[in-house]
Amino acid sequence: MKHYLWLPFLIIFFFKTTTSFAESSYVLPYPPPMPGSFLYKIRLVSEKIQKYWYFGNFGQFSYSLKQSDKYLVEAKTLFEYRQYLLGTQALKKSDVYFSETKPYLIRARKEGKNISKNMSFIKDAGLKHIEVLDKLELQVPKTFVWKPEKSFPSTLDLKESIRRSILIRSKSL
Amino acid sequence: MKKILIGSYICLLLFVAFISYLFVDPNFFYLKNIYSGIAFKNRQIITFLYLLIILSFFIFYFLFLLLIHRKLINAKDIKLLVVLTAGVLFFAYPAMLSYDIFNYITTAKVLFHYHENPYIVMPIEFANDPYLLFTHAANKIALYGPFWILLSGIPFLLGFGNFLLILFNFKLVIVLFYYGVSYFIWKISKNIFSVVLFSLNPLVVVEALVASHNDIAMMFFTISSFFFLIRKKVGLAVIFFILSIFIKYVTIILIPVFIYTFWQTIRKKTVDWEKAFYYSSLLMLIAFFLSPIREEIYPWYAIWFLPFVGLVHQSKTLLYIALAFSFGLLLRYVPFMLLGTHFGVTPFFKTALTFIPVFFVLIYVFFKDKLWLKIFSRS
Repeated sequence: MKHYLWLPFLIIFFFKTTTSFAESSYVLPYPPPMPGSFLYKIRLVSEKIQKYWYFGNFGQFSYSLKQSDKYLVEAKTLFEYRQYLLGTQALKKSDVYFSETKPYLIRARKEGKNISKNMSFIKDAGLKHIEVLDKLELQVPKTFVWKPEKSFPSTLDLKESIRRSILIRSKSL
Repeated sequence: MKKILIGSYICLLLFVAFISYLFVDPNFFYLKNIYSGIAFKNRQIITFLYLLIILSFFIFYFLFLLLIHRKLINAKDIKLLVVLTAGVLFFAYPAMLSYDIFNYITTAKVLFHYHENPYIVMPIEFANDPYLLFTHAANKIALYGPFWILLSGIPFLLGFGNFLLILFNFKLVIVLFYYGVSYFIWKISKNIFSVVLFSLNPLVVVEALVASHNDIAMMFFTISSFFFLIRKKVGLAVIFFILSIFIKYVTIILIPVFIYTFWQTIRKKTVDWEKAFYYSSLLMLIAFFLSPIREEIYPWYAIWFLPFVGLVHQSKTLLYIALAFSFGLLLRYVPFMLLGTHFGVTPFFKTALTFIPVFFVLIYVFFKDKLWLKIFSRS
């Protein structure tokens, strides 16, 4: 019997390694209006207006993180519907917004603001993003050839772009 | 007799200003040298003193109204009383009954010091900010309208970073708005009874001059907007009315009355201002009753309808109800002051004390006006 004492530990170990990617209690928003819908145009206009409403370094930080979250959820939804070109574009936007978050906090720190809470917020967000991206990476093909109707086809390096997104988030951890 | 009365009233004001400092919060380190904790350690005594103050205020209030009725005091005396009331209570500690003034200051700090949008960023996000030690509701984004936040920049910036100076700058701004409302009530009514009815109402005195609630600023822009409309200055009237909405949003409920009076004015038709103010007071009373939807009925919300009640004091029922509310709402502080908790029986007693005076007034009106006869004769 004592030879099998290690068995529960092994089960726990495998269970843990196979089901957890990166886990975070951070909550992502609902999928926003998708490209092609009329509401998507309104969303883009509101995004531009909100850029000014969220003034201040903390405000800009919140804005960038919010937009990064939204575009990540958009990318995830589009990938799931195999809209790889639009998905890749959304993911790039999410990356840009995510990489803008930290510089705003650094500027806020220079202004004498305490940024510790927001730094941990970035980490939580980064973990959650990586969790989503990890799962997404398993679902998408390595590459995808996009054939537009009146233009030359182009190859989308899906896994590579997801890995790049993960790398951007990893820097925040 | 008159001099004795005014002298005693000044003594009461000085006593209130003194008592207010017994309520200095232990976390309010700017006044740590005068912190006594008396108000928190001797709840029964402080409740008794508070009740004594409220009752004294009401006795003086009714005496002044009686003297006006008997033409024993004139406009000059009333002017002196209004100036003195605000002048003395300007020095009172504002967070005696409510901490809202700290919230105004902290919100102003978010915008004018940290340069962040107070509608997005909460004061609590600025960890280690010293104001957080005594600011309540720091975990909320700005609750007030954008015009109030902009206005609050004046006292904040003129404080040059000195908290006590900022605090008294805010008190000064509120005092000026109080004078403004009193002035426009006088200009509209040309009746000192109306002025006293509002300006020396104990609830107005306590909530506007001691606690420095910004509701008085909102009502300044509303009353002045109606004044400009009476004077046919429609442009100014519209601007001031919009500004009043952007202080605390509540006056949005007056839009029907404002549009009606505005329309009549530009068509050069006569406006029944008595009726307009009567409906305004009713609408503000409705807003007052709707306030529990958001949080609860706070005593200073009575400032929303009291200026209009002052302008239509001929409507006796409305006047009695307003006065009963003024008394009941000030009693609302008693359960917490005595028990030191917001839970248990406190909410029940708060509600009971608010409405019992109104209930008695309604019974009085019911029998005095023989309403029961009218009701039964209809059936």
